Amino acid sequence: MGETILKMQGIEKHFSGVHALKSVNFDLRAGEVHALMGENGAGKSTLIKVLCGIHKKDGGTIEYLGKEVSFHNIGESQDAGISVIHQELNMMNHLTVAQNMFIGREFMKNGLIDDKAMEAEAQRQFDKMGVKINPAAKLGDLTVGKQQMVEITKAISRDCKLLVLDEPTAALTLPEVEELFKIMNELRDKGIGMIYISHRMDEINRISDRVTVMRDGEYVGTVNTAEVTKDDIVKMMVGRVIMGEQKTCSTCPADADVILEVKHLNAGKEVKDVSFQLRRGEILGFAGLMGAGRTEVARALYGADRRQTGEIYINGKKTKIKTPEQAVKNGICYLSEDRKRYGLMLDKSVTDNSAIASVDDFIQGGLINDKKMRNMSAEANAKLRTKTPSMEQLLKNLSGGNQQKVIIARWLMKNSDIFIFDEPTRGIDVGAKSEIYTLMDELVKQGKSIIMISSELPEVLRMSDRIIVMCEGRKTGELDISEATQENIMQLATMREEN
Amino acid sequence: MNNTKNPLLKKKNGLLAGGTQNLVIILAAVVLFAVFYLINPGFASKGNLLTMTKALVPYAILSLGVTFVIATGGIDLSIGTVCFGSAVLAGALCKTGVSVDEGTLWLTIPIILVTGLIFGLINGFLVAKCKIAPFIATLGSMLFSRGLTAVVAEAVRETSSAIKYPSTGWFQKIFTNYNGFPIGIVWVIVLTAICMVVMYKTKIGRYILAIGSNEEAARLSGINTDKYKIIAYVICGIFASLAALFYVAANPSLNLAAGNGMELDAVAGVYIGGTSTTGGSATIIGTILGSMILVIIRQGLNLAMSGGVGISATNITFAVTGIIVVGAVMLDVLKKKNANKVKIETPKTPANK
Repeated sequence: MGETILKMQGIEKHFSGVHALKSVNFDLRAGEVHALMGENGAGKSTLIKVLCGIHKKDGGTIEYLGKEVSFHNIGESQDAGISVIHQELNMMNHLTVAQNMFIGREFMKNGLIDDKAMEAEAQRQFDKMGVKINPAAKLGDLTVGKQQMVEITKAISRDCKLLVLDEPTAALTLPEVEELFKIMNELRDKGIGMIYISHRMDEINRISDRVTVMRDGEYVGTVNTAEVTKDDIVKMMVGRVIMGEQKTCSTCPADADVILEVKHLNAGKEVKDVSFQLRRGEILGFAGLMGAGRTEVARALYGADRRQTGEIYINGKKTKIKTPEQAVKNGICYLSEDRKRYGLMLDKSVTDNSAIASVDDFIQGGLINDKKMRNMSAEANAKLRTKTPSMEQLLKNLSGGNQQKVIIARWLMKNSDIFIFDEPTRGIDVGAKSEIYTLMDELVKQGKSIIMISSELPEVLRMSDRIIVMCEGRKTGELDISEATQENIMQLATMREEN
Repeated sequence: MNNTKNPLLKKKNGLLAGGTQNLVIILAAVVLFAVFYLINPGFASKGNLLTMTKALVPYAILSLGVTFVIATGGIDLSIGTVCFGSAVLAGALCKTGVSVDEGTLWLTIPIILVTGLIFGLINGFLVAKCKIAPFIATLGSMLFSRGLTAVVAEAVRETSSAIKYPSTGWFQKIFTNYNGFPIGIVWVIVLTAICMVVMYKTKIGRYILAIGSNEEAARLSGINTDKYKIIAYVICGIFASLAALFYVAANPSLNLAAGNGMELDAVAGVYIGGTSTTGGSATIIGTILGSMILVIIRQGLNLAMSGGVGISATNITFAVTGIIVVGAVMLDVLKKKNANKVKIETPKTPANK
């Protein structure tokens, strides 16, 4: 491992009364992967934003490549060789890969943009990185994993010396994660220092050299990854141990009523003849790789997209569900993987977001009884232990875990019976994750039923009573939790159709 | 958990969202008023105040209606021509000889309102069901309503002069001038109150704001978003035709070329008032205040220019309105930018132990 390229000392940051960073220390060596961990709100993103000039620090020093620096905007830090790959990629889907890579520094020929030359250069960079991407393809047509590769390649092509990866694997499939790690190892050999933010313990163990933990804006400590266990890190992060063991056997009685039955569900090319049953008080896991059609099954069942064919029985009765409105009326609710886009009204209050599905319950004489609505929303959120300063707080100011709780509150208030959780803990930190798990367990204990779509196998194995595995739109297997292992799930998940 | 001890139940917000913004507009109105008074003391005369009050009425009503559409994140460009066109159409259908006479005058009211309703339905259908961008859909119906009503009017009318409504009588008494009292302002107050209730206290308003905030989230929450979008456009259409009643009561002689550009003034009033340009939050009081600002500017400039400066007050008014709309929206953008900077990362509450 090389010399120290970054040394941040005693970094302070205040936001109108909130002490976001309290004398934080962080350093990075060349050719090192340094994991930065902490729950949401611990100050990780703030620290990164101070580093790259988005936020101005209130105190402390930043030494980069031996010189004290203070960047005023992201352009300055980029020019100095610092690149940040954000959790949510900020790229232009309608432009080509090459156009995205060279945005802001286009190749010109006779005063016009030279796309050919940019594509050739992009190709050269991809070859160097060993990734297979067509530079002329529209960026939006690539998978999330490939898009990320484009961003990383873009950073490297800018002669980046310090790469920040903010939860890069949150949206990746397992093979994509493997590819990312391969590339990261290559970058490590080239002497590039990487700051790696993730909530996934397994990854931290595999990829990082050192771990720095933050909690509530404070620096907790830095350790060598090889010398500590997962539990040590988690303890540093939350001050308590949480570990999810696999469920050994189903907690749902075998003779529980079938509350939902789906027969021969077909939806476009994404869902092919999927049938399954869901019992009262059961958590039915849906495993598979990204693009296996699990979300599409959920959306078809929920009436969110035009469902071509298939039959749905609720409590044994054939039910027509063509719109989300009908699904909700029949007691089904859907908690999307992409909460910002499909679930939250970010600029509305906790009350508004909690009560939006059950406004009907608060109407008296044609008018909404806001007081009652607020009280009931507060009650539902208190039960879920949602952390918010008040019911008037706007949703955009809550952490991911608390946003998810508000959406759960929405459906508890609607008294839904069938909860479809699509990636329930995506973008949610470790501490809040286990809370979401507890909530899900509580829901089934109350007789609710859950369909859980998850790309994280430990999560599937910990939560599910039964697991359905999908591959390329088909159901390739169904496993009772007692017989399920990561291996046999992966086998089913990659069981492609021969033709 | 006992509700009274629930830590989540602390402060409470009132019905009037956007209080500070309203204060800013009121302050601006007062300053403008003072400036115009200093330029021309006639500005504060009783006669001028009456004129301004009358001028405010149709614009305020148009603005109220379009606030609902803007709250969904949409826009309705057809309100000006629907307002004017419905009056032309009704006048043409009910006239005997050259003008609408007392006997058939009552009939114009349902015709005007139904015309507004129909155009609202058409706009709503195009936007919600055909998924046409609101700007395009209502641009189309703006041109269509202008053309169609003029064609119908021409076909029925057989003469080329303007359509004349009675200039005195019960129609004026109801809509514009009750024995010297500007009765229209009472209607504006009543309609404002109704709009506030609908926007803030009914399912319609709540769902419209939800759609403006995040349409997909609203739909996946089980809301029939298409239905409520159509309702928003229907409200807007009906208000456009309501405005027509007040307009013809005050301006009984209708020229086919009038009414162009009315929609832009109405929309400008909404934006000045502080309703979000992208939908999701709306202020009814702001809308009224915004239209007041526009009327003050228009009339103020009119008087200020009346000294024979040689420049048309109308044109100056356009220019000034343009600056004010952009300025108001810019203020809104800046406010949002500042609001985003103050980010609360982990609110501390004793909710979790």
